[in-house]
Amino acid sequence: MTDFVVAQFVGLSAALLGIGLFGILTRRNFILLLIAIEIAINAAVLNFVYFAGFATGPGGVSGQAAAVVIVGLAATEVAVGLAIVLALNRQRGSINVAEATTLRQ
Amino acid sequence: MVPVLSLLLLTLLAGTVVTFLAGRRARWVALATSVGFLFETLWLLDSYTSWPGRSGALGVPQYSDGESYAWISVPWLHINYTVGIDGISLILILLTAFLQLATVVYCWTESRRPSAWFGLVLLTCLGSFGVFIALDVLLFFLFWEATLIPMFFMIGFWGGPRRRYAALKFFVYTHVASIVMLVALLAVVFYAHAASFDFSDIYIATHSSGFPIVTQAMLFLALFFGFGVKFPIVPFHTWLPDAHVEAPTGGSVLLAGLLLKLGGYGLIRWAVEVLPQGLAHTSWIVYGVAFASIIWGTVLSLSQRDLKRMIAYSSINHMGIVLLAIAVYSSLGLLAAVLLMFAHGVVSGLLFMASGSVHHTFGTRDIVTLRGITPRTPVLATMIMVGSLASLGLPALISFPAEFTALLATWDRLGYWVLLPLVILVVTAGFYLWMMQRVLFGPPQNIPEKAHDVDVYETAGMAILVALIILYGVLPGFLVNVIVNSPVYGFP
Amino acid sequence: MGAFDSLFQWAFLVPLFPLLGLVIVGFFGDRMKKAEFGGWVAVAFSGMAMVLGVLIAVGEALTPGRYTDVSYAWLTLPGTQSVFSNGFSLVMGTLVDPISALMLIVVNVVGFLVMLYSIEYMHHDKGLPRYYAELSLFLVAMNGLILSDNLLEFFLFWELVGVCSYFLIGFYYEKPSAASAAKEAFLVTRVGDVLFLLGIFIYFATYATSGGGAGWAASGFKFTTGSTPFLGSLVGSASSPTLTIAGLMMLAGAAGKSAQFPLDVWLPDAMEGPTTVSALIHAATMVAAGVYLLAVVSLFLGFTADDRLAIVAVGGFTTIWAASMAVVNTDIKRVVAYSTISQLGYMVLAVGAGFAMVGLYHLFTHAFFKALLFLAAGAVIHAVGTQDLLKMGGLGKSMRITSIAFLIGALSLSGFPGFAGFWSKDDVLASVYSQVGAHPLYWPFLLCALATVFLTAYYIFRAWFLAFSGDHPRDPTLPHGHDAPWAMRLPLLVLSVLAAVAGLFAFLPSFSSLLPGANVPPVYGSTDLVLTAVSAGLGLGGIGVAYVMWGNGRVFQLPSGSPLQGARTVLLRRYYMKDAYDWIGLHGVYRLARAADFVDQFVIDGSIRGIERAFSSLSNGMRRLQTGVVSDYAAYVVTGLVGVLLFFLFVAPWIFRTMGGG
Repeated sequence: MTDFVVAQFVGLSAALLGIGLFGILTRRNFILLLIAIEIAINAAVLNFVYFAGFATGPGGVSGQAAAVVIVGLAATEVAVGLAIVLALNRQRGSINVAEATTLRQ
Repeated sequence: MVPVLSLLLLTLLAGTVVTFLAGRRARWVALATSVGFLFETLWLLDSYTSWPGRSGALGVPQYSDGESYAWISVPWLHINYTVGIDGISLILILLTAFLQLATVVYCWTESRRPSAWFGLVLLTCLGSFGVFIALDVLLFFLFWEATLIPMFFMIGFWGGPRRRYAALKFFVYTHVASIVMLVALLAVVFYAHAASFDFSDIYIATHSSGFPIVTQAMLFLALFFGFGVKFPIVPFHTWLPDAHVEAPTGGSVLLAGLLLKLGGYGLIRWAVEVLPQGLAHTSWIVYGVAFASIIWGTVLSLSQRDLKRMIAYSSINHMGIVLLAIAVYSSLGLLAAVLLMFAHGVVSGLLFMASGSVHHTFGTRDIVTLRGITPRTPVLATMIMVGSLASLGLPALISFPAEFTALLATWDRLGYWVLLPLVILVVTAGFYLWMMQRVLFGPPQNIPEKAHDVDVYETAGMAILVALIILYGVLPGFLVNVIVNSPVYGFP
Repeated sequence: MGAFDSLFQWAFLVPLFPLLGLVIVGFFGDRMKKAEFGGWVAVAFSGMAMVLGVLIAVGEALTPGRYTDVSYAWLTLPGTQSVFSNGFSLVMGTLVDPISALMLIVVNVVGFLVMLYSIEYMHHDKGLPRYYAELSLFLVAMNGLILSDNLLEFFLFWELVGVCSYFLIGFYYEKPSAASAAKEAFLVTRVGDVLFLLGIFIYFATYATSGGGAGWAASGFKFTTGSTPFLGSLVGSASSPTLTIAGLMMLAGAAGKSAQFPLDVWLPDAMEGPTTVSALIHAATMVAAGVYLLAVVSLFLGFTADDRLAIVAVGGFTTIWAASMAVVNTDIKRVVAYSTISQLGYMVLAVGAGFAMVGLYHLFTHAFFKALLFLAAGAVIHAVGTQDLLKMGGLGKSMRITSIAFLIGALSLSGFPGFAGFWSKDDVLASVYSQVGAHPLYWPFLLCALATVFLTAYYIFRAWFLAFSGDHPRDPTLPHGHDAPWAMRLPLLVLSVLAAVAGLFAFLPSFSSLLPGANVPPVYGSTDLVLTAVSAGLGLGGIGVAYVMWGNGRVFQLPSGSPLQGARTVLLRRYYMKDAYDWIGLHGVYRLARAADFVDQFVIDGSIRGIERAFSSLSNGMRRLQTGVVSDYAAYVVTGLVGVLLFFLFVAPWIFRTMGGG
């Protein structure tokens, strides 16, 4: 029973991670890329929250705590990402990441 | 008690910083620092009367003027600022002080960015001094690396036409070696479960029973490689000729005079003393490398046309004899090794200064085309002659007592193998004599009209070294009595 | 007795006087125009050294068998644990003993006379302060060597002697041939020197704990303790292959310095230096050092029987080897130079046969007649400006004193009965002869030495006849010679007297106490008299042949088709020895060095540069991966992640399984 539930949750988060990775690897549109990253991150968050449920003792809430921190970080990341998108759009009129290779030099 | 060593370190540190900032007056600051440092060293030498000896059942060597302050201390890591000296390091500190002064005086007229130049000279000496006093792995490594950077810039900025290649080559070779050395030292600390990074704790750990011989041998070889590249040992020697040829004169002097000695000192203190069993079980490798360096360095000196390159290769030969003397692992050998390092520091310093002046005066260092410089530049010719005769081991000059004891120690341990370095002595004499015959004697040829003898600063710089060569050649007891006040005694 | 003790204590002043001269001349010589650029200062100091040296010798002669040792620790290493277990100490000191007293006379008298002679002879040369400083250093080194009380100190001064000869042979350094000859002298003797050094190591290590007290090593490897050799009964009695090798190494060192076969090539070329220098090198300093070394070793350390045979062989062979080359040479200085090598062979022969004192006796007489010959030759060269005997002739008329001086030297050299060389050479032959019964292998070398008596008389009188007999010079452009001024004449006179009578000194009881050994003074038994008659006859025969061929201005020509022409060429080319050495140097060592240089640059450095190139091309390939596209990087990350996962899931367990771990 427990094994099945665990498999469900882990399967869900693995699927989310797969979707996110697929998006990251295939999309060239910056905004879609950001969304894909969010999905992948949330897969990890889901795992944190789920496995925290098994924990006992003083460290019992550390999973939830990590989840909250990650959500916060993800929000920051999106904010910075969107700012980059705006700057990129303003500078070159495109938000295709394959064209933004100036740092390579 | 006065913390003498920290005082000396502070003198150099303050001097270096001020020199960097002093602008046009940098050379005066540098001179004041070197003179001050020399006097402090002499004071140290004067107050150093006897070695504290060994303590405990394991015979841990004690050090004079020791200071130790906790630096980084967490439960599993104890790094201290631990310094101390014995006869071996004291002699090399003396060498540092003399070479520093001679270099500063010799380079007195340096006009390209003098403040940076003199600052780098002092920084190199600071690093060397630190290496000679440090008794903590991390502190040692810190100073060790501190010599690398100024030398890199000295070659890279003030050097000859291929300076960038040479500087990079120097840096890569010595840096790879120092990484290996650091890893090996850390491995010694952790494998032997040393209580801290201090020399004495490491000594206790490696001399306690239960430290496997195989581990010791492997670690010793790693350390041998790490220190050996600085020697340099064949086949990791090719950075030396290139670095010397491109380096400015002052850089060459410090490179040959001090930086090569770091390798020898490091090998004695951090490899041979720490892992004697490691040496004992790998000595045939060390002997092989030593003989290879001796032969290879000399044979290559023979074929060189560039004066500086020739001297650089002869350094490989001399440092090979140092390595041999260390490898025989006896009191006599160790004494000889330290004496030889001092001798080689002074003599190669003089020779590099002289060849720098040759280049400066005649625009070339080519042994084959340059002829008969003696009538035009008698002082310079005399310096070259003194340096060459000292380098080929003429008695009453400084190398002789060192080479004599080194070869006697070799005979004592290896028997007729000593014929190899002895035959090499003939070849060494051969190429120095050949060089003198070409460059100094014969009818003058390819002498530019404007060529004039060395100026007073260059002369003074070289004269300091000549005085040392003769003084310590006639009275080596001054040095020997200090050197033997050290763990030399514990050797078989 | 007591009066001399303090004198012997002050023996270190003997080398110190010339050292003071050296310092003064070296630093202030340039400003002493009136004093011959310091020449007179150097003469004065060497004169003081001579007075003190002779005083010490007189003192030693009056108190026979006295050994006075004063020494200071030079370098000490107490209590090491190797063979030097009782400690190890090197000392510097002075040892006044009979033979060093004898050598003090030789070195300082000849040295002083040569200095005095130089004043006039070198007057027109440039670089006089350098000359006198180097000459003074030569005397310092030689006196130091004589007074050494241990082998290390001996070696130290030995090397200094070598470097002085280097400086002085190369005095005219702007002449390429002089610079080359100087280098050659240093290098060839250096070969002997390093072997000598090996011999020292062997003796030091072998005997480290022998002898009295804490052992030889702890007391500084001194030759003597009190008036006996430090090693006492070990001297000459111990025998092992190692000791034999040590003795051979000593022989090698001596062969280098004393120009014995096969290290003799440098000496004839050393004629590039001023003639005064040749006189000093050949008579009293450089070459004497080698024989003195052999004498010292045989007294204080001892040779094994095999060593002695080797020494006899080298000495005996060298006598005839060098004499044969002198027979055809036409350079007046070179003829005398070859005679030096040959005569040194006699001394070595005597030492090898076990009569070190006889060897030194010959060294003593030889010093005077050889210095005389060189200074006389120098006077000739000074006067006529050439060294070619074929251009000279008839100089006896214009240079009467020089001619007589050379004649006395020649008579002494060829062993004309009554002259100094006669007594000592005869003594050498008689001594070797006394040993051939016990050692039949000495026979061939005794015969070589006997034949050399004939050759010696022949070649030196050939030179004398060519230079001085006849009516006029064969080269009419030659300036008319004239006898030298008094500063040159006085040394000639003194040396002439000594070359005539020095051999008789040995018959004075007090003098012969300076040579404490068998056969000094010569003893004449019935067989010895036969030998004496034979050698005197050979000598007279040589003179006669020389007169027939070269006397009265005659010049003997070999018939052009004669097979002897070939032999003559071989002798003039010095048996091609020098060519062989040059070939080894150039084609052997130098070629090897060039090849090594190639290997160093392209194989050793090249392989490391190859590694570097491999890395840089690898990194160039890697650079292409750096597209700058974010999603590509993400793809690499994912790939890497998957790789790591796969590694830990499948590969790592497999490794653990196969290694048998858990």
